[in-house]
Amino acid sequence: MSTQEKEIQTVQQPEFSFRKYSWKQFKRNKPALVSLYVLSVFAMIALLAPYIANERPLYAKYKGQTFYPAFTGETNYRFQDPQSGDSINLQLDITDWKRLEYESVFWAPVPWSPTTKDKANRRWVGPGDPQRFITNEGDTLHMPSRFRHRLGTNESGEDVLAGLIHGTRISLSIGFISMGIASIIGLFLGAVAGYFGDNRLQLARGRYYMIILSLPFAWFYAFHVRAYNLTDAMGDSGFSFLIALLISIAVFAFVIVIFGTIGRLISKGSFLGKQIFVPLDTMISRGIEILNSIPVMILIISLAAMVKEYSIIYVMVIIGLTSWTGIARFTRAEFLKIRSMDYISAARVMGFPEKRIIFRHALINGMAPSLVSIAFGIAAAILIESGLSFIGVGLPQDVITWGKLLNQGRENFHAWWLIVFPGLAIFLVVTVYNLIGEGLRDALDPKLKR
Amino acid sequence: MLKYILRRILIFIPTLFVISLIAFVISINAPGDPVENLFAGAKGGDGSSASNAGITKAKDELRHELGLDLPVFYFTLTSLSEPDTLHLIKDKSQKENLERLIREYGNWEFIQEYYRAVSALRNEALIRTEADSNLLKKISSDSLLIIEDNFAQKCISLLRTHDATEIKSKIDVLQSECGRFSYLGANNFLQRFNSLLSNCENTFVAVESNSSQWKTWIPALRFYGYNQYHRWLFGDGNWLTGNGSEHCRGVLRGDFGVSYATRKPVTETIGRALPWSMSLTAMSVLLAYLISIPIGVQAAAKRGSFFDRSSSVVLFMLYSLPSFFMGTLLLMTFANPDVLSILPANGVGPATGIPEDATLWEKFNITWPYLVLPLICYTYSSLAFLSRTMRVAMLEISSQDFMRTAQAKGLSTYLIYYKHGLRNALLPIITVFANIFPLAVGGSVILEYLFGIPGMGPEILTAVQTKDYPMIVAVFTLSGFMTLIGYLVADILYAIADPRISYSKS
Repeated sequence: MSTQEKEIQTVQQPEFSFRKYSWKQFKRNKPALVSLYVLSVFAMIALLAPYIANERPLYAKYKGQTFYPAFTGETNYRFQDPQSGDSINLQLDITDWKRLEYESVFWAPVPWSPTTKDKANRRWVGPGDPQRFITNEGDTLHMPSRFRHRLGTNESGEDVLAGLIHGTRISLSIGFISMGIASIIGLFLGAVAGYFGDNRLQLARGRYYMIILSLPFAWFYAFHVRAYNLTDAMGDSGFSFLIALLISIAVFAFVIVIFGTIGRLISKGSFLGKQIFVPLDTMISRGIEILNSIPVMILIISLAAMVKEYSIIYVMVIIGLTSWTGIARFTRAEFLKIRSMDYISAARVMGFPEKRIIFRHALINGMAPSLVSIAFGIAAAILIESGLSFIGVGLPQDVITWGKLLNQGRENFHAWWLIVFPGLAIFLVVTVYNLIGEGLRDALDPKLKR
Repeated sequence: MLKYILRRILIFIPTLFVISLIAFVISINAPGDPVENLFAGAKGGDGSSASNAGITKAKDELRHELGLDLPVFYFTLTSLSEPDTLHLIKDKSQKENLERLIREYGNWEFIQEYYRAVSALRNEALIRTEADSNLLKKISSDSLLIIEDNFAQKCISLLRTHDATEIKSKIDVLQSECGRFSYLGANNFLQRFNSLLSNCENTFVAVESNSSQWKTWIPALRFYGYNQYHRWLFGDGNWLTGNGSEHCRGVLRGDFGVSYATRKPVTETIGRALPWSMSLTAMSVLLAYLISIPIGVQAAAKRGSFFDRSSSVVLFMLYSLPSFFMGTLLLMTFANPDVLSILPANGVGPATGIPEDATLWEKFNITWPYLVLPLICYTYSSLAFLSRTMRVAMLEISSQDFMRTAQAKGLSTYLIYYKHGLRNALLPIITVFANIFPLAVGGSVILEYLFGIPGMGPEILTAVQTKDYPMIVAVFTLSGFMTLIGYLVADILYAIADPRISYSKS
């Protein structure tokens, strides 16, 4: 027994895992690895933005009371002054926090919110310029170094560094969510197109025609009947629109399933019951071709003009819906290879349903090349977003983004800090994603395997 | 080859059809009524009946001129409850309101009655048909105007209400308003108004009690021969010959319609803007290829050398550098009185214009400083991408047998790479070339905005901001067309660069 076990152990090759191997390859690529660290720093900044840059103190002891103004959801504090007995009301959004006399206080690292207008430092005060602070008595002093605008201010006196920190949140989340949407669509369509091709998906004729017939019905129930639910939700908020859209999509799918079931029932006899091929690959490839023929930037600008009110969610959805073609193409190409591999044939012979083969067996293996495309896609999405906010399309007025700050710098070339810092931020994030994309490509490219 | 090209062109047609349809759908579903937008600048009050009637008439004429009184497409998928004449209702908000009512109750016959009753009520309130002597005695004509105005506003808001309780409360308010003027005694206006009002109430009750909501759940297909899309494609004359067209001759005859914003033909605007975008794109592409191919080849030829490594880093940085950041930086450096003010910041020519009698050389001399910075920005990003592509392609080629043979024969580096290698490494470069065609139409919106170039970019941006949909649809269709042309040109170039590629058999 034991000798047999030993034999098996000696015969066994050292276990080869493509994932481990790729990670090892990726780690060897120093720029990509550093980029990964830089990206995680950016992600931390994005997550903690409200606590890194906030005009409200993180902790404050004022007239005997202890507050955590940066963390609270309340709108005002009411309390009694222990000395005079007066009732004091601190309204959180309009209180000038820097002029209160605290017993002890702990400020956020950047003690400014991106939309606070510092009236004493309006009209482009640079990082090195003398900055002013007006006391309660109306005296003008030099800015205490704790409150300095480290990267200057813009025309209305908003702190650039705070804007950059909060802009990180927007840029990263746009990159993430829009590419999340694009990956779901792209991976699904690419996998289906590549796996089934034009000659693998067989359906009974009756069912096939029923499904085609179901499309106008699905459209009718999902979008025509619900048209005003969707418009009302759009007028309401970006989030409720997203929910309404998801419901519509669910209705769409449901109608198709119902028609498919009816189709299965009627698929009998020599004509309706005959199995025919569904040219899925051709359909999806034609769709990709058409979407590729539309200029993306113009499509996004016009779609952005269609919505009643600008919202970040629309920008994410629009970028996501228009940029999945690259991912789909990569996945399709990979699946064309995978579908004739032994393990897929084995799974088919074992009688697994196609759904399981595609999404449990093949997708894990076929995802690698699209990862590269996703990394580059995130970079592109961030570029598109900053470009859009640079020209003032798509994002609401009160949201500060890197592109908007950069555009503010265009008004006054003297304010170099409004151009250089936001531009560098965009450049850095885009570079980081591009480097990660390159690293992934090198790590996942089987040609480089030696 | 010729057969292949013809077949490709045939495939263009459905693709272009779909692209134009997408653009069209976007423009139709856009919020806001273009006619109302056009009149938004003019006085939109319903105060004086004479001017109001005039405005309404002008609006109707404009609507007809733009073809907005037509159904949208050859067919529509609606529900059984919706009539096929809904597109005849001119006011977009009223139409929307009716659609909402139909969706709620599903009985068009009754809703139509209700709509007619409310319209009659509004007309009564709007148009002072006869001076009511009885009324005029008691109140001045000014305050009568105010009363009527007040009623008219309420009636119009009734036309835009679809919620049952809101409708009822609005009718109630109107009734009590009428009651307030009962001291005026019996007069024609109030009497008629009151009876119309009760008519409204009755018809609405009928709508509510005869609800046939099930009809909204049954889809129905309706066909229209003459519609907006047809008009857009073929014009409003005879579709084949184009005879008798009044307002638009159709895209197929090169007429993209009239801009909603400027009321000028879109084709004219495009004709003015396109040369700028096209020439800038063409120049930058030429520059990019001229610079990038030698860089790529050189880097590949001396793989791992200092030049290779440094150019890779620099090109990668350039590739990730957003063009609008680069553009702003360039402007900040070279067109800024604080630093260097050697190049103009904005536009493509002096504000005073170029003298008429200038020779071509003089014109060039005046214009070129304006084009330096835009050209750099246009060029560098594609330059970076192209060089990197070129380097990779050349690296792949250089490990092949024929390249080693060429080396073994003792050919010069120049001959090895440019004569033997280049042609084989061209394919990825050609692919990139295909993508440039649509750029010539769309231009770079951001860069043209930044540098104030009067090309397609600013036109597209204003079109989007003013919801000038004929312009947007035109740009969409044109750039879709150019993309397809780009693919075709690329296919032809593939065959020229690599004779092994043959399209004669599929």
